[in-house]
Amino acid sequence: MYKTTGFVSFVLRRFTGVVLVLYLLLHIWVIGSAVSGPEVFDQRLNAVQTPLFKIAEIALLAAVVYHAFDGVRLLLVNWFKVTDKRKNLFWAVFIVSALMVIAGGVPILLFMLESK
Amino acid sequence: MSDTQKTASVRIQRFNPEKDHKPHFQEFTVSYTRDMTLLDALHEIKSHQDGTLTYRRSCRHAICGSCAMNVNGINMLVCNTPIKEHINRKGMVTIKPLPYLPIIKDLVVDRTKFWEQYMRVKPWLIPSPEVPEKEYRISTEEVEALNKAETCIMCGACYSACTVVGTSENYIGPHALLKSFLRVLDPRDAGAAERLEEVGTHEGAYRCHTIFNCIDACPKKLDPTKAIETLRNLAQKRLAFEDAKKKRLTTITKAVE
Repeated sequence: MYKTTGFVSFVLRRFTGVVLVLYLLLHIWVIGSAVSGPEVFDQRLNAVQTPLFKIAEIALLAAVVYHAFDGVRLLLVNWFKVTDKRKNLFWAVFIVSALMVIAGGVPILLFMLESK
Repeated sequence: MSDTQKTASVRIQRFNPEKDHKPHFQEFTVSYTRDMTLLDALHEIKSHQDGTLTYRRSCRHAICGSCAMNVNGINMLVCNTPIKEHINRKGMVTIKPLPYLPIIKDLVVDRTKFWEQYMRVKPWLIPSPEVPEKEYRISTEEVEALNKAETCIMCGACYSACTVVGTSENYIGPHALLKSFLRVLDPRDAGAAERLEEVGTHEGAYRCHTIFNCIDACPKKLDPTKAIETLRNLAQKRLAFEDAKKKRLTTITKAVE
């Protein structure tokens, strides 16, 4: 195993990609139930309204944000050949992602606590 | 600066295919001075402690590329690396063979695949039919565009640091793609189209995941990732690039006045 910032971003990119696919399956499971009638749809929607899923929503936000910004980082490298800035870009993606997860995650947490 | 001797524990991964089922570590204690290299430490162990220790080395001047090894998790040439720079807080330095390559014995790895992938990109210059009367004319800008790729010593540090090499059997690898980049951008080379056809595939430039390990591992501070990104772009406009090179070849054979 060769551990560098590039390797960490490679692993995180793949991990968040798998998380997004799993979310998509869950999303289809909920939305797809609409064809089975309002009762089934409400039942499945209620199943994903628990505090556990609210926390998972923040994790999903983190996965989406990191995956998206990491993609932008790769585009920047591809377009502008800024390979010498690779470590700066890695940390920039990390910091921007963290800020966006805090900005989006805190309202989700507050909403969760208020609705208790 | 004082030249007093200190001692370090050199932890070496050992593997003898005739006796061992899997690699294991063995520790040696070595006295070192400020100028001692990691290769000197290996020589010291082989000469005075265990003659069965096996490793490759040749020039001892960081130009032959034989002695690339993995030291504390980082690929490097041991011949020009002072041991004191890699001794950790516990007074230990760990030396392993290059990752992702089959081990022949101790620190010696099988580079067959490395060379097979290298030959795929036709690393030699394919000259144009026109031979110059005196010399080729190449501008400073054209030389600078090669990004010093010609200084690669084929040590394998980038190849064995590449995660894609470790997970994808047929990936051409950063070493060969860097060489292909060198030939594609070389104004004297007449084989750009066939080169780009070979590397512009899922086994070539498009297989790279932009992990940058190759840059971090290169002892010559080269940039295979940038070369691969350039190849990707050129592969997308292969025919136009080939036309531009043909035009350039018509001027390159004129002798310098």
